[in-house]
Amino acid sequence: MNLLKSNHGFFLFLLLVLATVLFFLDILLGSVKIPLKSIFNILTHTKIEKESWEMIILNNRLPKAIGAIVCGSALSVSGLQMQTLFRNPLAGPYILGISSGAGLGVAIFIMGISVFGFSVSAYSLLFNYGLLICSFTGSFLVLMILLSAIYRLKDIMTVLILGVMLGSIFTSVISVIQYFSFENQLKSFIVWTMGSLNNVTSQQLYFVLPIIFATLIWSIVISKQFNLYLLGEDYARTLGLNVRNFQLQTVIITAILSGIVTAYFGPIGFIGIVVPHIARLISKTSNHFILVPYSILVGTNILLFADILTSLPNSETVLPINAITSFIGIPIIIWILFRKAKITNVG
Amino acid sequence: MMEVVLKIEKLEVGYKNKAILSPITVNTHTNDMICIVGRNGQGKSTIIKTLCKLLKPISGNIFIKNIHLDKITDKQFSKLVSVVLTQKININHTLVEDFIAFGRYPFTNWLGTINENDRIIISEAMNLCGISHLKGKNFNDLSDGEKQKVNIARAIAQETPVILLDEPTAHLDLANNFETFKLLKKISKECGKSVIFSTHHIESALQLADQIWIVNNSNFYSNTPSNCIQSGEIDKLFTNTSVKYNREKNLFEFD
Repeated sequence: MNLLKSNHGFFLFLLLVLATVLFFLDILLGSVKIPLKSIFNILTHTKIEKESWEMIILNNRLPKAIGAIVCGSALSVSGLQMQTLFRNPLAGPYILGISSGAGLGVAIFIMGISVFGFSVSAYSLLFNYGLLICSFTGSFLVLMILLSAIYRLKDIMTVLILGVMLGSIFTSVISVIQYFSFENQLKSFIVWTMGSLNNVTSQQLYFVLPIIFATLIWSIVISKQFNLYLLGEDYARTLGLNVRNFQLQTVIITAILSGIVTAYFGPIGFIGIVVPHIARLISKTSNHFILVPYSILVGTNILLFADILTSLPNSETVLPINAITSFIGIPIIIWILFRKAKITNVG
Repeated sequence: MMEVVLKIEKLEVGYKNKAILSPITVNTHTNDMICIVGRNGQGKSTIIKTLCKLLKPISGNIFIKNIHLDKITDKQFSKLVSVVLTQKININHTLVEDFIAFGRYPFTNWLGTINENDRIIISEAMNLCGISHLKGKNFNDLSDGEKQKVNIARAIAQETPVILLDEPTAHLDLANNFETFKLLKKISKECGKSVIFSTHHIESALQLADQIWIVNNSNFYSNTPSNCIQSGEIDKLFTNTSVKYNREKNLFEFD
């Protein structure tokens, strides 16, 4: 609320500068060495030295870097909101089974023909946005089941266990589908599960960016409601919050954010859980008006950094992003656990 | 006669369509401090929860400032009734001052901006509760007694004609218990509010309350403290136990 009076403005600015640096590093570094000056020329459309360089920058590295920003901010904000909604520090798209739900949607989309005899992707109308719709439906379904459980079960811990169970069920359904599917489809699904920022075309980004941007704005706009919800459902209600409406909005926002990201980039783990904790740790606030921007910037920084690590300079190999985020994420979780005994406090 | 704030007509409270108490008909006025007493599991919390709209009444009517409870939205309700519940609040990285500011949320815009007027109301609430020295502290670092006072200050900052509290003195030591009673009495008199709360400290309630609501064996009884003692309703709370109420000393003794 008093963003300018406190240090938050300064810290956020620092994070923004860091993100900008990492963004350009991400474009600069890769298996093919391209000088900084040429990159600048390509990005500003002034002079083209080599067509192949232009291809690499505009069709590969730039969409990839933008994808990292989209992924990082969307996953972090959805994780933050789920931790507040479920009042649980371990909530996140991965643990609550939301990624598995989206995964099932994608599995049906990619491998459906071998199991059910028809494929959703066969219809040209569905092909472009089919992946997205399937993934969104999957994640939305899981969140709706979890939400109906919140209404019935007072204990939020039970809901978390239910999420883990749902994730396992969906994963086993996915393995059954995998068992019966054709080799080439199976391979493209396995590649999807490893997560990749590479597969996104600029055209898809044009489609995804405005949706994610609008949803993030929506998340900031309802931050006051998130702050009230920190007091617990009953207190929030007596302070004038329409609890059901708020919970529904949160579920839709998180389904959009994690559903879209999972569809295009695969199930990227640990960002959703870890980033909100880092945001709380450095901002020392529970105010969502401040936590949302922090989460967006911290998530962006971590994903850009992870993406730089996936394709180290002068090497041909590209590591799956999911492996990198786990390598970064898990130590941070352990560090937070040891540093701060009270990780159970979500607020 | 003071203005009627809360008007309850033939109200039946309970769970799953089963009333647990005889129908309640009672009025409260501005400046009234009302204590709900009764043994465990008799329905004190059920009454509080029904009055704060967290539980649906089974039948009967509740009017707050002459408006029927069914016609009051959650938003309007938060400007009429403030509530202090028994559940613990676990909120990290939040200063006492900012916590009390939650009481102003029903009045602020979508950004939750606290203006100069809100600030005055918050600091007055802190003064009244004697917690101004805590304002820069972290809410989670406070003791139970301090947290309770801060939460009461939050309810005062909400500026509602009615304050409902569910066992505000539970978990508090003797000194904090008396102080909370005194504070609630002060609020009812100085701020012109109806303060209604449940408690197990019957001696303090008999000394300070303007009205006592007794829930016992599915019956609801309401009267002034002296009438409650005279009519023997207080004694009835302890039939079949080894506790006896001494009317002269206002004390509970072993039989």
